[in-house]
Amino acid sequence: MTKALAHRWLSVHGLSKTYGDTPVFAGLDLNLARGQTLAIIGPSGCGKTTLLRILAGLARADSGCVQIDDKDVTEATPQARGAVYLYQEPLLFPHLDVFENIAFGLRLRALPRARINTEVETMLVALELTQLARRRPESLSGGQRQRVAFGRALAIKPALLLLDEPFSNLDPQTRANMQQLCKRLTRQHHSSVVFVTHDLKEALIMGDGFGRLSQGRYHAYQDRAAFCADAASGVQAELAFWRDGAAGRPPRES
Amino acid sequence: MSRIGAKLLAALLVLLITLPFVLLILLSLTRDWRYPALWPQVWQTDQWLVFDEQWRSLLAITLQSSLLATVVAVLATTAGFFTSHAIALQRNARHWLALALLPFAVPPVVYALCLGQGFAALDLSGHYFGVVLAQWPFAYAYAVLLSHPYWTRYNLALHELAHSLGARPGQIWWRVHLPLARGVLGICLFQTALMSWFDFALVRMVGAGRVETLTLRVFDYLGAGDLRQAAAAALLLIAPPALALMLNPHLLIPAPLWRAQT
Repeated sequence: MTKALAHRWLSVHGLSKTYGDTPVFAGLDLNLARGQTLAIIGPSGCGKTTLLRILAGLARADSGCVQIDDKDVTEATPQARGAVYLYQEPLLFPHLDVFENIAFGLRLRALPRARINTEVETMLVALELTQLARRRPESLSGGQRQRVAFGRALAIKPALLLLDEPFSNLDPQTRANMQQLCKRLTRQHHSSVVFVTHDLKEALIMGDGFGRLSQGRYHAYQDRAAFCADAASGVQAELAFWRDGAAGRPPRES
Repeated sequence: MSRIGAKLLAALLVLLITLPFVLLILLSLTRDWRYPALWPQVWQTDQWLVFDEQWRSLLAITLQSSLLATVVAVLATTAGFFTSHAIALQRNARHWLALALLPFAVPPVVYALCLGQGFAALDLSGHYFGVVLAQWPFAYAYAVLLSHPYWTRYNLALHELAHSLGARPGQIWWRVHLPLARGVLGICLFQTALMSWFDFALVRMVGAGRVETLTLRVFDYLGAGDLRQAAAAALLLIAPPALALMLNPHLLIPAPLWRAQT
């Protein structure tokens, strides 16, 4: 794949959205290379979820276009896009066990039974959920549920994975484990990911590229250094907080 | 409530539910049981033992009524479930839901009177299709109201998720909602079938004497003063719903799976 093509796996041009009279964002442009993770930060209510839902085809933009792999998918149905949207809360089908939840997308594609079994079993091993394969969702912990939801999304090898603060409801240890697992598996599957969070540390762990959505405007950073150097990203304030703490000084007033 | 109080209440409920059955069985097995006699004097079992023309006719009408109720229930439940989904996606869902209450603002007999002329002009009077068409709005509205609570935020999100995972609309209904909404769909089917099964006014007016149902037949027997035959027909009338409830009490009380997601 040429470098030019690699940088055009996901292209968004001039995306605008308003709810009633309230603008959410306007003229939004972003690009994502294949196999990369774009971490987007922004305060609550800035339109991060709306952006992901538009990319997934679950909401319509007022204007602008979305391209995946050079194909215009702006008007395409969600199932035609190959973009899987993962919710903040781990949504599992309550009538299916762990195995069947992961197999859900594969069964939709009417793949041979043997292949489905192999792929789901491989995924269960990767997710360390083999022992829980026949358990129902209601008997799983929050972290286990999120792992199943994540595995189900990856199992169908989506063109684009859209993660909407997927670990925000987890305790710190489970969250750290999930971040590592997510990073490892998306690398293994060469997945292209848009990862939305309001947690700076999580953005830095997960992201290969960085963007910030605030007050209806999207700002793309050239690289990690630019993201860390920008006062608006909040990284500098975070660093100052920890430096002061380590030096025994009380936190500065912002 | 104390344990004894709860047991007494349960016994009272059982008595209230079984009393009509006992009374109907007694009525169908006796002759000339009239006030002020508290207990039947003359017993007669022949009508239960002899399978005559009257029984054959009653069974044929029972089959017709069952078919009519099934058609109305299936059409109303299917349309009601899809409509309740569409309503749940609206911002002003409550206003749309209020529309579903409209059919119940008009008594069926008034509605039947109004329909009578139109149906006669369209040559729908006296046909089963006409009766289905007349009963459907009530059953449909009821199905919308009954299935609306299924569309919780969680179940709506599952709908989107299935879409996102690549499911076509038909696959979403078949693989996600049909298994999940089994309980609510069962309730809808049962309740809307009952609406048609027990309906009198619409069948009488729109059926114009050419459409016969079991409910109508019970009234006919009562009108003719044949209490024994009316009791036997009434037993047939309440047997199917009672049997269905005995086999599956969740037709009245929602299943746990449905409750767990609300």
